[in-house]
Amino acid sequence: MKKWLPALLLAVAFIASLYVGATQIESFWSALFNPGSNEILWQIRFPRVTAAVIVGAALGVAGLLAQGACNNAVAEPAILGTAAGASFGAVLAISSGLVEVGTIGAIACGTIGALLTTSLTFKLAAIRGALSSFALIIVGIAVSAIFTSFVGIASAMVSRADARSISFWSFGSLALVTPDNLIGIAVTTVIGIAIAWTIAPALDRLSLGDATAFHLGVNVARIRLVALIALSILAGGAVSTVGSIAFIGLAAPHIARFIFGPSHRTLVMHSAIIGGLIVVVADTLSRTIAQPNELPIGLATALLGAPVLIALVAFKNNVWRTQ
Amino acid sequence: MITIDEITIVRDGREIIYDYSEQIPAGSITVIIGPNGCGKSTLLAAIAGDIAPDKGTITIDEAHPILTAANTLAGIRAMAIQNQSFTLGFTVREIVEMGGDSTDVLQALGLAEIADRLVTTLSGGEAQRVAIAQAIAQKTPVLLLDEPLAAQDVASRKKIIELLQQLAESGTTVVVVAHSTETELTWADKVIKQFH
Repeated sequence: MKKWLPALLLAVAFIASLYVGATQIESFWSALFNPGSNEILWQIRFPRVTAAVIVGAALGVAGLLAQGACNNAVAEPAILGTAAGASFGAVLAISSGLVEVGTIGAIACGTIGALLTTSLTFKLAAIRGALSSFALIIVGIAVSAIFTSFVGIASAMVSRADARSISFWSFGSLALVTPDNLIGIAVTTVIGIAIAWTIAPALDRLSLGDATAFHLGVNVARIRLVALIALSILAGGAVSTVGSIAFIGLAAPHIARFIFGPSHRTLVMHSAIIGGLIVVVADTLSRTIAQPNELPIGLATALLGAPVLIALVAFKNNVWRTQ
Repeated sequence: MITIDEITIVRDGREIIYDYSEQIPAGSITVIIGPNGCGKSTLLAAIAGDIAPDKGTITIDEAHPILTAANTLAGIRAMAIQNQSFTLGFTVREIVEMGGDSTDVLQALGLAEIADRLVTTLSGGEAQRVAIAQAIAQKTPVLLLDEPLAAQDVASRKKIIELLQQLAESGTTVVVVAHSTETELTWADKVIKQFH
């Protein structure tokens, strides 16, 4: 039962999220089983809730990859500079008129931005020799702050509505997702999850430290590079389409680890499902609690994710022992 | 056989190992001893392929550890480091099985009763035995152990030494770094104490 609980909750949250909204959908159950029958349900809510699941899955697995590759409990796309880099790559390409939000072009630019900033974080953190967890986090926060500023400057310089606001890039929003956007993020998410699944056994070994992982046959530098690429693809796809959504990359893998243990093969799927669940619930709250106004989704994910993390630290657990 | 041919290893500007040659015979237990900072662990790490000598070569039979791919090398030599830490809550059995089949080695090292315990809850001595068990589970022709007896009680030391003797008899080349005096090492086939 425990194994299926997050998936079951996700299914319930998905349907509840389709049902809840500013407009009451008449004959909801009949409309649900007749695709295309109700415009609000099928043209607006369905793409939006589906995007929430995909984006949550992408960010959950991105966080798992970040934590596994860095062997660090607090690593996640927002901490390593990945999310800020993805925003910067996307906003630069969008504001210069090269691509539009949600297109494959924007996703590619977001992924490249994510890859470059995350690489920069790793390079700067290792500038004095071995890569320390402390240096990685401090440098990551600094790189994130710099590129978040760049995003703010770039988005302020452009007044076109389709370039999105600083609020969108900083806190995220699923309000403008269209059915066409789903293909791009679905593809990047499937690719990222497939890579994570493939390297999962190596990430288990990496948790024993670089030396022991090498003794067990892991090419540490290569695995870290592959994880970095997968992390950038996942974050690049999600962030360039819906903006930066905090806490998913941190909370989803920790919750999954707490319930299902540390094996990365198991965690890939469960981090994806729990990430999807948090984003669906957060998006539903963000569009309902202050009706008719919408809150940025990042505010809701922070409110949902942060207490969970505090609880995980407050209650004794041996799932992730910090030194 | 492990062949060390005129190696020099410099760390932080200091020659830790200088122009050192040695042959470590197959199917035997070789123990490396010496005071702190003399380069015992550095020599073991160089044999394992963790660090490259600044001069000279090390070969395990025909293979150069430093030039061999990580996954191939894991089939040639296994190594347990001195202070293995565990951050994720895998069970003892799961950790040992990352090396290979765990059944016999868990029994031999007295870990069968704690096989389902989380490694994040173990004592220093237990954690060290888990690391040794994982290396042995790799079933490689060469087994390298850094200070395997340091945190062990008398009974555990005896179990570890007996197992190493069995492995050597069955053809494994065992190289151990130890903090012992030469007179205590009745179980060693060869003792190395000078690297210059």
